[in-house]
Order: sequence, then C-alpha cells, then structure tokens
Amino acid sequence: MIFVFVAMIAYVIYFMEFEAETVIANSRNIRQDNFADDVEKGDIITSDGVVIATSNTDEEGNTSRSYPYGNTFAHVTGYDKYGKSGLELEGNFYMLRSHINIFEKVIKGLSEEKNRGDNIVTTVDYDLQTAAYNAMGYCEGAVIAIEPSSGKIKVMLSKPDYNPEEIDYIWNYLQTEEGASSTILLNRATQGLYAPGSTFKVLTLLEYIRENPTSYDNYSYDCYGSEIFTGVDIHCNDDTSHYTESLKDSLAYSCNVSFANIGTGLDYGKFRENMDKLLFNNNLPYDGDYSVSSFDIDANSRTDELPQTAIGQGNTEITPLHNAMIMSAIANGGVLMEPYLIERIENDDGGKVKKFKSKSYGSLMTSEEAQILTDYMESVCDYGTASSYFYGSSYDVAGKTGTAEYDNEGNCNSWFVGFSNPDNPDLVVCVIVEDYNTYGVSGTWVAKQIFDAYYSK
Amino acid sequence: MLNIICEVSKYLIIIFMVLYTVKCFSILASKDAKDRRKKLNKQIVYVFIIHFLCYLTMYLREGSLKLLIFYGVQIFVAVLYMALFHSIYKESSRLLTNNTAFLLLIGYTMLTRLDFGLAIKQFVLATIALGVTAFIPYIMSRWKNLRNMGVFYGIAGIFLLLTVFIPGLGYESYGSRNWIKIGSLSIQPMEFVKILFVFFVACMLVKANTFMDIMVNAIISAIFMLVLVLEKDLGAAVIFYITYVCMVYLATSRPIFLIGGVGLGVGAVLMAATLFKDTLFYHVMVRVEAWKDPFKFIDTGGYQVSQSLFAIGTGGYMGTGLYMGKADYIPVSESDFIFSAICEEMGVVFGLCLILVMLSVYISFADIAMKVRQPFYKYAAFGYSILFIIQTLLNLGGVTKFIPSTGVTLPLVSYGVSSVTSTLVIFAVIQGVYVIHNKEVIKNEKEKERIRSEAAALNARAGIPS
Repeated sequence: MIFVFVAMIAYVIYFMEFEAETVIANSRNIRQDNFADDVEKGDIITSDGVVIATSNTDEEGNTSRSYPYGNTFAHVTGYDKYGKSGLELEGNFYMLRSHINIFEKVIKGLSEEKNRGDNIVTTVDYDLQTAAYNAMGYCEGAVIAIEPSSGKIKVMLSKPDYNPEEIDYIWNYLQTEEGASSTILLNRATQGLYAPGSTFKVLTLLEYIRENPTSYDNYSYDCYGSEIFTGVDIHCNDDTSHYTESLKDSLAYSCNVSFANIGTGLDYGKFRENMDKLLFNNNLPYDGDYSVSSFDIDANSRTDELPQTAIGQGNTEITPLHNAMIMSAIANGGVLMEPYLIERIENDDGGKVKKFKSKSYGSLMTSEEAQILTDYMESVCDYGTASSYFYGSSYDVAGKTGTAEYDNEGNCNSWFVGFSNPDNPDLVVCVIVEDYNTYGVSGTWVAKQIFDAYYSK
Repeated sequence: MLNIICEVSKYLIIIFMVLYTVKCFSILASKDAKDRRKKLNKQIVYVFIIHFLCYLTMYLREGSLKLLIFYGVQIFVAVLYMALFHSIYKESSRLLTNNTAFLLLIGYTMLTRLDFGLAIKQFVLATIALGVTAFIPYIMSRWKNLRNMGVFYGIAGIFLLLTVFIPGLGYESYGSRNWIKIGSLSIQPMEFVKILFVFFVACMLVKANTFMDIMVNAIISAIFMLVLVLEKDLGAAVIFYITYVCMVYLATSRPIFLIGGVGLGVGAVLMAATLFKDTLFYHVMVRVEAWKDPFKFIDTGGYQVSQSLFAIGTGGYMGTGLYMGKADYIPVSESDFIFSAICEEMGVVFGLCLILVMLSVYISFADIAMKVRQPFYKYAAFGYSILFIIQTLLNLGGVTKFIPSTGVTLPLVSYGVSSVTSTLVIFAVIQGVYVIHNKEVIKNEKEKERIRSEAAALNARAGIPS
C-alpha cells in the first residue's frame, strides 16, 4: 500500500515536470486568461520574421492588440476577443507566458509593469501568404500551402477576409439580421466543405490502381464527349471528345466519361474502406478547428451514384486542408506529416523556449502508389489541363485541376491541388476559387503565383 | 501591501505544511514518550498557524467579517475537541486527534473558499458527529458483546444497502443509484454499511475455525458486493472487496487467500468488462476511456478529469494563492475533486504533503491494529485502515489521472455528510480499540507489578535476597 502511494506521488511529480506544460496549454483551460493580469500578450511572427500581431500598451496601462497586415493574415492570426480564434486562440497560452530573464522580471514586478509574453513564430511565410492574397484579389475561396516533408503550413488564406482590429464592428454586424448569414469569420481553408470536382479523380485513380494492380497500365477508353452510365448522363467539359486514351491521358485531360466508366467498375465497399483510410468521414490530425470531409458511397450504394462520385460531384465534400493533406502524403512518398501552424516559441529577446517538431501521422498509401500518382499528375501539368499555365516556368509541377459545379446552372468553383518539383517535392498548394464564371480567376493561376513567389525567393 | 502579505502567507503555509507532515512520521517513529509529547504539541501549533494564515489570506482577499467569526468558532471547537477527548480518554492517540482536527480544518478552509454555505453546513454536521462519535470508545470498552453480533451486522448492512432501491427514497446520481434522500438530507447508505461490513467480517473471522466457515462468510460478503454492483457503485464494490480480501489474509495468514482473492478480483473485473460493458458497466467503461485520454473526451466523460488536471497543472508547485485561481470552475470541486482545488490554490507541494499525511494516518491505524491482541478488535482496526487507505487512493488517484476516476470522496476533507460522519465513526472506533488496548497494557503492567511485588514479599519472608 505504501508502495502504491509512493508511486502515486512519483506520478504527480512526473506529471508536473513533463506533462503539465502541454496539458495546461489546452485552449479549453479557462485559467489562461488569468495570466494576462501580469503578462502582456506576445507577438505572432511569420517564419520569415514579419510581425503580424502585437500588443500595445497606452499610457494608462490599457493593452490592445494590433495586426500590421490585418486582412492578409486574418484567418492565420484570428481575433483576440469573443472567444478568440486562429493562433490567438491556439497559441494564447504560450503568448501569455513570459520566459524573460529573472532580473527583468523582478524589476518589472517592482515597477508594477507587465512582463512581455513569449512570441509565437508561425510556419506561415509572409511572402507566400501575400502572393496568395494578391492573386485571389476579390474572389472568394481559400488557399492552403504545406511543406510536404514536414507538415508546415506555409499559406493559409480564406476569402472573404476581415481586419481583426475591427472585430468589435464585425461582431456587432454579425448580430444584425443582414450579417447573420455572413461567413466572413469562417476559415474556408480548414472549415469550408466543397465538392472536390475533378481533383477527386486522383483518388478514383488510386482506387482503380489498387483494385487492378497489374493491369491498370493496359486501360484504354474511347471518349466521344458524353455517355450515359446506368441512366446518368456524363459530359466532358464542353462535350470535347478525347477519343482513344490511356489511363494517364484520362487524368491529364480530366476526362469525365472515362472516369465515370472507371467508377462504375469499382468495388463500392473497398472504395469506401480506402477513402475512410484517406481520412474521409474521420478526424484529421490537425489541432485547430476544421470540418470533417464526407464520402458516402458504401457497399449498399445504388449503381447510379457512382458515375458522379467518381468525377468528384455526387455527395462527396472535402475541405481544402484535407485535399492538401492527401496531396502532401502523395508528395512525401505516401507518408502524411501532420500539418501544423506553430513552429516555435521564443521569449521577448528571441531566445528559444519551445520548438514544435513535425510529426508523422503514418502512411496513407504505399510509396509505389504515391510514385505512380505523381507520375500521372505530372502529365496534367506537362500536356494536360494545367499545361498552359505552367508552360515555360522554371520548375516542374505535378497536380490536378478541378471545376466543381455547385448548382444546375453551370456555376462552378475552380480547384487546383498539386506540388512543385515532383522529384523532390518542395511545396503543396491547394486552391479553391469560388464562382469561376464571374471572375474568371482559376485555381491553377492562383497556384502558379504562389509557386512563382516560392521560387523567386 | 495586501498582495505581499498574501504572497508571503502562501509560502509560509507550504513551509508549515511540510513541517507538519514531517512531524506526522517522526511521531510514528518516536519511542520516547516525552519526545512524542513535545512533537505532538508542536504539531498543534503548526495546524493553527496554517489555519490562521489561510483565513488571514481569505479575509484580506474577501474582506468579509463572517470569515473571522467562522474562523474563531472553528478554533474554539478544535481546541475543545482535543482537550476534552484527552481528558476523558487518557489512553487515546493524540496523533489521531491531531490529524482528525487537521484534516477537518483543511476541509473547512477549502470549502470556505469554494462555497461559504457548504462550509458552514459541513462544520455544523461534523461538529455534531464529533460529539456523538466521542461516545464510541466508551461504549466499546463497556459493551463486550460487540463481537458476538455478526449476524446483526450482516443483515442490517444488506438491508441498509437495499434502501436505495425503495422508490421515492433512493435516487441515482452520476450514474450510480447509491443515494437516499430524507427530507433535505442526502445520504449514501454505503458509507455506513462499510462500517457494519468490517464489523461483520471481523466477527465471522473470529469464529471461523473451518474452511466451511470461511466459505459461508465469503458468500454473505459476496452478497454485499453484488448489491453494490447492482447499484452500479463500482468504486464502493472495489473498496469492500479489497478490504475483505486483506482481512481474510490477516486472519488466516495464508498467502493462498491473498493470491486467490486478487486473482478472483481481476478475473471478475475482466469478465464484467467484457460481458456487461454496454449495460451494467457502461458508465464505468466511459470513465476508463476518459482516463486513457481525458482531453479527447473533454466534452463528455473526460470533462471532470481534464478540468482537474488543468487546475493542478496551472496552479503549479506553489499554487496561485487562495481566491487567486479558478478552483470553483472544477466540477464537484467541493467533494470528489477537492484535492484539485487544494493543489491549484495552495500548491502541488501542499497537495503532496496532504497525500503523505493521509498515508501516515493509515500507518498509525495499521500500527494500532498490529499491536492489539484481541482478534476481533485487531481485525476490525485492520479492516478500517484498509477502508480508509483504499478510499483515499481511489480519490487521489482518480483526480490526478493515476487511475480511472471512481467518484469517491477524500476522507474528512471533502464535503459530504455521510462521508464525514462515517469517517469520524471509523476514527472513533480506532481510538476505542487503542484505548482498550492501552488499558489492557496498563492492567498487565499492574498485574506484573503485583506479581513481582508479591514474589519479592515471599522471597523476603523466606530470607532470599532479591
């Protein structure tokens, strides 16, 4: 009995020494705000050293938050009131702790000044985020870029945006009847659920390869622009006929008819199983707020649901974050690195307090499968639907375009998801631009601006 | 200025708590009566300093006069209790009365911080219970028939346990049907049944001569546990079971009963976990899941433990100081999770000391049990020491995520009428056993003295030099 108690005491000390810091950093710990009584909240700094959120104290001792690049980083920093969001919420604890040296602390304590809290260095890159922000212009939609080998989120953009400094005004607006339907505070990059459109063909392709591991290369199909599958009329874009095409060409030209044909031949139960393993209908290994993607085909689905689902229409919904994560696993030899936003914590003098390491979630597919998909997606940018955008650029890209219809009048969102330098992938970019018909800005064009910015650094 | 006084008090409280804890153990180890008396007196001084500093801090933070009045009344009762108890029972254990007073005062302090009304209620009921239980040692030394009433304890115990199933009287709380309500008073019959249960097992073991006797005893004990399981009060079933196995082992000193008992217990838990996991033990499985990763289930089963760990972790080793934390945000912080509230505001160091004090109470119980010669009292005292320590372990382990949370109170510190009363009964019974034992020792000493002097007189008469 005495031994059990000694073990318990040892356990409590172990908890205090090694676990407590992580546990109390939980954003649900309401005690964090108490730290604000004697600490001035620290800054948020981009990975290339630009301050994007800071605290100011006026002569009367009142502190307020300011955001030097307000709208550009709105959904990265989030806001600091009304329950907080973004890094202001996730990193609140770290910014309210002070690791400045003890002498400074004593002096500040005696003069009744607040200590300066630690700073968060985020993984987000100022140049890339700005490039994405400018490229999106007035369009609505989202951009997310991830370094596939580490999981570092380099760009996280959601439009429409807002200036976190004006959160009081926005909050009041949201309470009005007119503002009630506004989604301005929604981070579309992680919480927006969209039909994946043609970007889903990569996953249909993966399923086809898994079910036909030896014969997939022999696939051939004659496309005449449209065809009816189990009563469902499938058209290629503008009813273009692709004639006789291989599996690779089907992806490169994003041939709907060919993929609907592939889809109807798949094993529904296995399809569901594999999509669940790719984290559809599942929680993502991501710490911030996000929505769960859905894929509802299963062994009991009706055959007429498959043609649409195989080309990314149907009932499937995905977040840009999730789409980028799958692409990131493909780029990283099948292994998914968990995406994260906080790179490290520094004290006010720039000294290291804590560094966040990248974590591997595990394999979503074999490295062979990842290699085949990469090879096929390169053709999309070489001679397929994205080739006109990347023609003549100094880097290679493997990716997939997508146009996803969201009503019956032909209105659609424009997707691009892919990565640069396929031999040794540098950056995964996932873009969705809403309402392509109105602004004519395509996801691929936005993605190119980001890649250009990356390689001109 | 106010802040400085409060900060300094916080550190002083911790220092005196450490001193008090050290004394608990050094008194146990001390053989010399004079040395012990000195240490015991010091301990009382420490208790009053800690208690004074706590109320000083709270008064400075809150500025309400009722705190000071309450403080005064507490001191009066504590002094009166210790003085009267020892003048009536000269042979009683002062270490135990010190610890009783200390644990109660710490409980009152934290309850005052959390909910003044509850603190008053706890104080009034505990004071009444102290007065009533003070007669227990007297009754025990007068009424020798206690050991022959095994059947009565058994039947009364099972009957009392069953009262929770009476519609309109018993009700369910936190997934277990283990409460009854009489007027505005909520009582957990289990808290009192455990006292009867230990008496019952002790009686049976005294009489048990054959293997058959032990079996009969085992079957009746099994009925107790079965009723508890039906009440879905698994924490209590575990406490009863472990107590039973330990008592049988002590009485028979056959390792087979210990090994068999542990094996049977583990087997029963595993079987229950697989057979009834969706029905009878659903809420237990939820707690186990929540224990594995409380933060994953923070909105459901893991809420309490998550909040408890937030409190302990954020408070840190030195604590935030009384009223400076958010101890009132911990769910059921006044009863099951009072240890987390103490850790948050008085510091983890204080909490660790409290664990050690609890341990020292157990050691002094067990020490008394080992010294006593009469089997009935020996078994009973030993049974109560096990009851006490298992309950403490389930509580402290549960709130620190050392083991899954079972929803039992921390003896004497937690708010709870049934819990405090039954613990005070246990303390009084142990005192009674100790008093009986000491009287016997004194009687034996006198007897020896008499024989020696008679022998000396005889020798003197016979002319043999002594």
